Amino acid sequence: MQALEVKNLTKRFGSLVAVNQASFEVPEGSIFGLIGRNGAGKTTTIRMMMGIYLPDEGEVNLRGVKVGQDFKNRVGYLPEERGLYKKMKVLDTLYYFAEIKGKSGREIHKKANEYLKRFELYDRRLSKVEDLSKGNQQKLQFIATVLHDPDFVILDEPFAGLDPVNTNLLKDIILEMKERGKVIIFSTHLMEFAEKLCDHLAMIDRGKIILKGKLSEIKAKYAQKNVSLNYEGDISFLKGHPMIEKVENFGNTTGIRVKEPEQAQNLLKMLVDRGIIIKKFDANDISLQEIFIEFAGTDGLELKEVRNV
Amino acid sequence: MFNNRVIAVFKREVKERVISKGFILMTILLPVFMFGLIGIQVLLMNEGSTKFNVTVVSESADLTYKLESELSSTESVKDSSLILLFGTMNKEEFKDFLNSKKQEVLDEKITGVLYIPDSALKDKKLEYYSKTPQNRRLSEMLGRPINKVLIDTYFSNRSLSMEELNFARQGLDFTGFKVTKEEGYEEEGYGSLVLTYLFTFLLYISLIMMGQMILQSVIEEKSSRIVEVILSSVSAKELMIGKILGSGATGLLQMSIWLIPVIMVTSTTWIMLPPEITISITLLQVVYFLLNFFLGLVIFLGLFATVGAIFDNPQDAQSGLWPIMLLIIIPFFIAFSMIENPNSAIAKISSFIPFANIIVMPARMTIAEVPLFQLALSLAISILTLLAIFPLAGKIYRVGILRTGKKPKWSEVVKWIKYKY
Repeated sequence: MQALEVKNLTKRFGSLVAVNQASFEVPEGSIFGLIGRNGAGKTTTIRMMMGIYLPDEGEVNLRGVKVGQDFKNRVGYLPEERGLYKKMKVLDTLYYFAEIKGKSGREIHKKANEYLKRFELYDRRLSKVEDLSKGNQQKLQFIATVLHDPDFVILDEPFAGLDPVNTNLLKDIILEMKERGKVIIFSTHLMEFAEKLCDHLAMIDRGKIILKGKLSEIKAKYAQKNVSLNYEGDISFLKGHPMIEKVENFGNTTGIRVKEPEQAQNLLKMLVDRGIIIKKFDANDISLQEIFIEFAGTDGLELKEVRNV
Repeated sequence: MFNNRVIAVFKREVKERVISKGFILMTILLPVFMFGLIGIQVLLMNEGSTKFNVTVVSESADLTYKLESELSSTESVKDSSLILLFGTMNKEEFKDFLNSKKQEVLDEKITGVLYIPDSALKDKKLEYYSKTPQNRRLSEMLGRPINKVLIDTYFSNRSLSMEELNFARQGLDFTGFKVTKEEGYEEEGYGSLVLTYLFTFLLYISLIMMGQMILQSVIEEKSSRIVEVILSSVSAKELMIGKILGSGATGLLQMSIWLIPVIMVTSTTWIMLPPEITISITLLQVVYFLLNFFLGLVIFLGLFATVGAIFDNPQDAQSGLWPIMLLIIIPFFIAFSMIENPNSAIAKISSFIPFANIIVMPARMTIAEVPLFQLALSLAISILTLLAIFPLAGKIYRVGILRTGKKPKWSEVVKWIKYKY
């Protein structure tokens, strides 16, 4: 069952096509990752989903019905560029954000105080936002995002600019929301986070969706001919070898693509025969980053083709 | 249009404004400041240049004697704000005397030297030598008594009754009667004039002040990026309406507080004004003023908010404000010029021109008789202006608040109107 359906969304800014016929589905209860490099069209797509931008073409459906204010009320949105009213008090800020979602009254006040206690901000509830540290402001922003108990949480580059403590805090919130059956959609250019967190994804590049689906299925599909390797020694002989399609260095690991799936075993044998010390040999494994590069190319990601290994 | 989201934005806006130090200070200080300004002006006129030191020279001893006795009894001489020296000289002697005193005049030890030749008894022409010869305060102090002496001397040789003499001494007294449709004619003092200044000034101050506030507020929302969080719950239109109505209500509250004295004078007998400054304004006119102000405020807040949305820092925004400032300042000067000539055609026409009517019509209403239907027409023009500019302003606002980075050109802003956002 799809919770959200994005159909042929297109947005142009003058001559620039920021998002081009983007379509993907977000299943119920999933953590959905919208993945792409900076400027690929992630934020524009999310803004169109939120009704902040009107799409030039296409539509977004919530369980079969076109999204409107009802959807907005049920979404908690954390944009990439976050902000709060500096002169407002902490509690007032939370009440205000709940109120514009149509939630007010004693229940929200109780919940706000609970959240503040949990995030160790209760003592500061009457402080002005500008008097909080940056980390505490981020916490406050998280609370404001989920206080009204949204069914959908949309996070645009949620981990940008967070310290490690808040990164973990946000991860906890995301997983907790998932446990409670909420749908979480986030965009990121950080493949490792996406790989760890999301179960469904759509990859966007230059405004176009280039890949979408369940993460495990995608990985299974593209991992078949892939080997991830940690080693010591010289493997330059692999270059140009008839069995090998390509070799790529990803820093910690080297990704090797063989031409046929069954050749992975032959590759291992060959490496051992040549005296390469193998620390890790993971057949049928591929990182999201490799898949992304496969589809979008490497320019813009700080990676280079391995030429002489 | 007025759903719970707009109300939430409205409430936040009012709370932020009304509780702010700026609002409280301004509400209290502006009247204090205005009265203070009038006070200072009076003070400057009376006290500021306390010591006038004038040498009065006449050509004949008889005239000198009469002048001395008349002038010595004036109040300014009595309270010694005016110190006079008297002398009798003919023209030749006076020339030498003046040359000898030149340095003292330049050093301001002597404010001036007044020469009253005998010929003044025929043509009333005096000569006044000073570093600052155009001192109205001095001519006010000296003019009347000297005139009296000249008249008395002129007529002393003729057989005139006291009555005739008194008539000749008398200056002119213009009493203004305002002609209205009402029965009878009301004597009018300076009150209307004061009211015209007051209304024009208050409108000007409030429009600019509230406008600047909403400008800052929009820029803050934009530059702190909070606007995107808010737009995920509230549409740009709702946000704009809530903000403008919130600011507008705050402005209306402030204006009503400022006008309490005026309202009391018109509707109660608690405050009695001296007859010279009675004001002939009805409660209906005050209500019209507030209504006109609120409509005007909403219009201008819309414009200020739009400019705030176009730019993302206060400096750029200030430089982009000039078209709006012109819309306020030009009518402001028209309203002031009307005090000189209430029936000028420009004043009449501009009280029906969109934007200008907001400031000009209240001023016109206080000094000239304006039929009720014209007031209603002016309000209708404001409403039409509102309806005409808000769709455009809303569009620019909507596009602008999510834009950051390069300062946009006006031509780009025009293009935004065509965007589908």
